[in-house]
Amino acid sequence: MLFSSIPFIYYFLPAFLIIYYLVPRSLKNTVMLLASLVFYAWGEPKYVVLMAITIAIGYVSGLLIEKFRGKTLGKVFLVASVGIDLALLGYFKYADFFISTVNSVVGSDIPLLRVALPIGISFYTFQILSYSVDVYRGDARAQRNPIDLAAYITSFPQLIAGPIVRYIDIEGQLKERTVTFDMAAEGIRRFVIGLAKKILIANTLGELCEIFRAEDEKTVLFYWLYAIAFSLHIYFDFSGYSDMAIGLGKLMGFDFMENFNYPYISASVTEFWRRWHMSLGSWFRDYLYIPLGGNRVSKGRWFLNILIVWMATGFWHGAAWNFILWGLWFAFFLVMEKLWLGKLLKKTKVLSHVYVLVCVAISFVLFNAVDLKEAVSYVGGMFGIGGMGFVGGNFFYYLKSYALVLVAACFFATPVSKNLMKKFRATDIGAKVLTWAEPVVLCLLVVVMTAFLVDGSFNPFLYFRF
Amino acid sequence: MKKQKLSSLLLVGVMTALILGLSVFCWFKPAGEYSDSERRPLAAFPELSFDTLLSTDFMSKFETYTLDQFPLRDGFRAIKVFTELKIFNKQESNDLYLEDGYIGKIEAPLNEALVSGAADKFAAIVDKYVKDESVKVYLSIVPDKNYFLGEANGYPHLDYGKLEELVVSGVGDRMEYVDIFDLLTIEDYYYTDTHWKQEEIIHVADALLSAMGAGETGEYTGHKIDGPFEGVYYGQLGLPVDTDELTYLTNSVLDGCIVTSYDTGKPQPAPMYDMEAAFGKDPYEIFVCGADALVTIENPSASTDRELVVFRDSFGSSIAPLLCENYAKVTLVDIRYMYSDHVGAFVDFENCDVLFLYSTLVLNNSSMLK
Repeated sequence: MLFSSIPFIYYFLPAFLIIYYLVPRSLKNTVMLLASLVFYAWGEPKYVVLMAITIAIGYVSGLLIEKFRGKTLGKVFLVASVGIDLALLGYFKYADFFISTVNSVVGSDIPLLRVALPIGISFYTFQILSYSVDVYRGDARAQRNPIDLAAYITSFPQLIAGPIVRYIDIEGQLKERTVTFDMAAEGIRRFVIGLAKKILIANTLGELCEIFRAEDEKTVLFYWLYAIAFSLHIYFDFSGYSDMAIGLGKLMGFDFMENFNYPYISASVTEFWRRWHMSLGSWFRDYLYIPLGGNRVSKGRWFLNILIVWMATGFWHGAAWNFILWGLWFAFFLVMEKLWLGKLLKKTKVLSHVYVLVCVAISFVLFNAVDLKEAVSYVGGMFGIGGMGFVGGNFFYYLKSYALVLVAACFFATPVSKNLMKKFRATDIGAKVLTWAEPVVLCLLVVVMTAFLVDGSFNPFLYFRF
Repeated sequence: MKKQKLSSLLLVGVMTALILGLSVFCWFKPAGEYSDSERRPLAAFPELSFDTLLSTDFMSKFETYTLDQFPLRDGFRAIKVFTELKIFNKQESNDLYLEDGYIGKIEAPLNEALVSGAADKFAAIVDKYVKDESVKVYLSIVPDKNYFLGEANGYPHLDYGKLEELVVSGVGDRMEYVDIFDLLTIEDYYYTDTHWKQEEIIHVADALLSAMGAGETGEYTGHKIDGPFEGVYYGQLGLPVDTDELTYLTNSVLDGCIVTSYDTGKPQPAPMYDMEAAFGKDPYEIFVCGADALVTIENPSASTDRELVVFRDSFGSSIAPLLCENYAKVTLVDIRYMYSDHVGAFVDFENCDVLFLYSTLVLNNSSMLK
């Protein structure tokens, strides 16, 4: 089920919240678990069983790892648990990629498995992995109540598109949490803003990207328009989803970690990745990069670690070569910045921002390509390779048609509006005005977004394929 | 602190009232059956069973159901279109745009394969049915509104020259092409509908008749239908814009014509202008049985026994009466609704003229031709 859908907003969510607030505290996790299973089964009823098996393995192995912590058997259970989780992820997400790669390299004809990708498998697998590792490290206690553990892993706000919530971060909240009016108000605020980012900006720019892809007459400027539109589209899509998840979490008494922090204002690629999909970045840092030795190794090994982490990051996003290329693209710039580029960027404020935006725009063109061939062809198109014209066709029409949304997207991708609002709220008049104006504006937004949902069917979340 | 509390309380209260109010409305509102504005049946509550749940068939249909049955659906659709066109400054919404009071629809890009496919289909029909060398075959193409509004106002549009060239070269010397592009202007079309106005295309009918050597049209009297005509784009756009007037033309020749529809497979007498349709869901269907697959118009007062067979789309409905004057019988064939292989069973191609009259809209989407 999509957050940005009529069934979720006007059927599932109100019904869930009514029951959730009415039941006693001891039953809240059970209600959350049942609702999350319904939420998940709405899109993938068959794979509920797979998720249940994964959770059961995580639950049992967590208990065993804790019991034998510090002993060889503890390590064995950790390796077994991680191995099984990765094997399931590998089978469902990567099997066909490996088969087709082998087929094309050695010329074999091994038939593809064509297994449907279970929604959110990358997210919930990473949550269980972090739980097992944290229990092994002694950072978290194994959860003895299977309902609580299942409620954590399946919790619908973050189940299918993150943020990747770590068990240690909400261990306490799973047992004891309250929802105050301020928290509920903040939850509503975040959910509505996230929904607006998704429906009004991301979906509108998604249309422009689709138009570009269907256009016969592509020109250099149209390629750049596409690259910019897609970069903004994916940001508002994914950060909008994260906002909604965080908002829903607050309505249930949880504090989920932030996932985005205005990444497009970054002055280096290193900074960009501190601000983009922060829950994934920190996951790879804590469970892959640091165990590999991080930067406390020789320079060569350090760069190899970076390469491994970014290949894995790319591969996590999708089982295709263009995703690996996407990860390596960032690895290249991260290494360059650590070698010499970083120092140079600090001297040129404007150019450093331009550099990041161009790097990121090209990266997302690679990311959104259907295959490696298209990735190369599209990036080539941005630089006029392929003999197309510089400008023409319908470029100006679509630029005019989407200009306002593009400008608004650029503006809201910076913290300017947030800071202005904060300053205004801090004044006496601002606080008074916003007390009354904010509910009205948010309600108007809900009405407009409902109108968009009622009218349209173009509403897929990009991150569902991960 | 107190202000913060009031602010939170207000936000939670107002939002709960809005979401819960609309939710209760959604849950308990009786389901509608038909959307007048969109001219289509609305989705009904889907079948709920173990199989439909397991296959997710129930879920996808339920989603459609909730969208179709959403309370105040047309009002919400209008809000969406208004937001896109007036606030986002998008040039079009759902491919529809407003220009000089006209609602236009973007039809682009040119689908060369489908346009050529249409020409091949017409050529195959001629090769199959037209054996008599005395039978002359004509072709004419009706431009859609985007031809007039698109290029002039910067909207994406078809390459109409290329389309014309593809069709004309595709049918080869089987047909004589009658170019009517220059005879038409945007004023000849309804503001809110796809089609041309019958009262504005007499000169087009004259050009066709002249090309076919069939004299000219007669003198007509126009009759306006009471009430506004909200064309097909009106409902699709969803915004309140100026409506049209629907006028139909009569004269003594048309009054004496006998119209027969074969839509059910059997001949059924039908009116030249269906007044029931004029006040129905699609008033443009007033003209000669609307979208019926096969219709004949017999003209007892014709001074000749020559017949005309018109392969046509919906644009043909309103011009057909104007072509009757000098033919004993006009047969309208719509191969969107009947297989062209079956046409021979109903239509005699001897001693007749044949006219292929198609709009650019159908030619560019010719997969609908059977």
